[in-house]
Amino acid sequence: MINRYRWYELVAIYAGILVFLGFILAPFVEGFLVSLKPLGLLFSSPYKFWPENGSFAAYVTMWESVPGFARYIFNSFFISTIVTAIVLILVIPAAYAFARFNFRGSGALLGAFLAVNMFSGAVLLIPLFRLMRSFGVLNTYLAMIMPGVAFLIPSAIWLLRTYMMRIPRELDEAAFVDGASHFYTLRRVILPIAMPGITVVAITTFIGAYAQQFIYALTFNSKTEYMPLPVGLFAYFGRQEVIWNELMAASFVGIAPAVVVIFLLQRYLVSGLTAGAVKQ
Amino acid sequence: MGQLNLNRVQKFYGTFEVLKGIELEVKNGEFVVFVGPSGCGKSTLLRMIAGLDETSSGDILIEGKRVNDLPPVKRGIAMVFQSYALYPHMTVFENIAFPLRVEKMPEEKLKAKVEHAARILHLDQRLQQKPGMLSGGQRQRVAIGRAIVREPKIFLFDEPLSNLDAALRADMRIELAKLHRQLQATMIYVTHDQVEAMTMADRIVVLNAGEIAQTGAPLELYHKPANIFVAGFIGNPKMNFLPVTCKGVSDAGVEVDYKGQTAVVPVGPHDGLVGRTLTLGVRPEHILLGAGDLSLTVTPTVIERLGAHTVAYAALNGEGENYCAMLPGTVAIRPEEQVLTGIRAADCHLFDEAGMALERRVELTDIDMGLLDPAAA
Repeated sequence: MINRYRWYELVAIYAGILVFLGFILAPFVEGFLVSLKPLGLLFSSPYKFWPENGSFAAYVTMWESVPGFARYIFNSFFISTIVTAIVLILVIPAAYAFARFNFRGSGALLGAFLAVNMFSGAVLLIPLFRLMRSFGVLNTYLAMIMPGVAFLIPSAIWLLRTYMMRIPRELDEAAFVDGASHFYTLRRVILPIAMPGITVVAITTFIGAYAQQFIYALTFNSKTEYMPLPVGLFAYFGRQEVIWNELMAASFVGIAPAVVVIFLLQRYLVSGLTAGAVKQ
Repeated sequence: MGQLNLNRVQKFYGTFEVLKGIELEVKNGEFVVFVGPSGCGKSTLLRMIAGLDETSSGDILIEGKRVNDLPPVKRGIAMVFQSYALYPHMTVFENIAFPLRVEKMPEEKLKAKVEHAARILHLDQRLQQKPGMLSGGQRQRVAIGRAIVREPKIFLFDEPLSNLDAALRADMRIELAKLHRQLQATMIYVTHDQVEAMTMADRIVVLNAGEIAQTGAPLELYHKPANIFVAGFIGNPKMNFLPVTCKGVSDAGVEVDYKGQTAVVPVGPHDGLVGRTLTLGVRPEHILLGAGDLSLTVTPTVIERLGAHTVAYAALNGEGENYCAMLPGTVAIRPEEQVLTGIRAADCHLFDEAGMALERRVELTDIDMGLLDPAAA
């Protein structure tokens, strides 16, 4: 079908895109501009959108105002990485099993996973707190990693299962006929072919872990040295005033490692890896 | 005891009986083709022999040993899939080496075996390429290579050529036949293409609705089909069927009546035929121009000129069934112009009301009997 738009239709479409993009990106732009302004200028009236005599000074002073900030970045990064690793280790075999084997209760289990996802972690905070306390893991990294893993597994299984179901079954059968065990088939055949799907799962899990650790850190951890980035940002809220420009600078520096990781991972999102496996 | 024996093998999906007690013996080194229309259970039977599908009841024996509960690799079979099922992330070398890697074969021995298989299949130049870079025929050869390196007792092929185009299919057919002679291995081959079945098989097993309709050498099925199904399935274009009435039975055969014309078809009769309606079968290639023992005047509606042959289609008066004749390539007939065709009684097949063939007393003098008996070849 050939879609030919008239000039005013094109204008309307692009205007629409512009509005929504602007709506989504404006806070980031404003945040970045704030990080460039001296603190005094932030509350000037009339408000100036563009920074006059802007500088990157806040990116230097932020390390001095909150000395532990590097540690918070590391904590965030560390917790998310461990969560992602654990989720992948658990989810890859699980998704393979759900995609390939017909076992009793597989449908019910999948439904249950979906149901778990409907509760946000916040609803379960109090029971989780009691659980953590009785296990004696409060105020450790484990307290932030365990619930993170638990709440990220369901969507990861659903995502990866769908991907694996698209891998032709004949590949498993061929490997089975050649004497390969299920785990051998998973490792040598399915895993390499499912790499793009696994990358997607890794990225979403990493982002999910980055985003949701805030609530667990706030409730299950009171030790400053284990605090992740979102909690750490509170340190810029002083008694009298909030150091907005440093806070914004810190936010941007804080998400930088995550951006780098995602940028590196997306190289593996190669499509068409199954080309030549079977004749479609 | 053959190399592969099937004893009353049954398969149920729920309560639906897919395979109804298959009995078959395959000898060492034989090339057996399972052929039949879609849904007849031929692929299911192959997958059961392979160990990919479970057998509901009955025994599958390989070299006298019951293998029903053994995994494929312990049965000593190798399978080639219709879709090739190559591992896209591995090179051709690694694809062929896969079964040996599973066995943890030492690297040197493995390399020698893979290279030997690659030489047989003319893949030596392709070993470092990925399957995505190969053509359909080459991919199929890689899949066969993966089967060869295991040195199985029995090769199983599940419609391996149906994804190839016509020219490649003809080439691969010849290569497979060569390969069979070279390896002297037992091969079981599933196809819905009767040309593949006729050209490659030592023995054809025709399956229909979960049962073996007939087992025999290709020419045996062609000249002496056991029932209407096999008669209609083997041969292209399809055999013509005419309703006839049995007038009498003699030593010479069965006398039949078709619209006032009578002819004696040389077949072995059984009791209670006289007065019954029988089905007369005649292959299009046996229809002659001009009068015969039975003569039909027909008006061709479509004429296909193939060069070597001319195929004429006509609707028989009052009967919806197409009447088809295969005539010489340069025959002078035209669409919508009446033409007289004849049938020799000796070329006819006769089927009773149950669809079973009355055995033809054909003089197979023009057929080399050696071709009919795979053991003599």
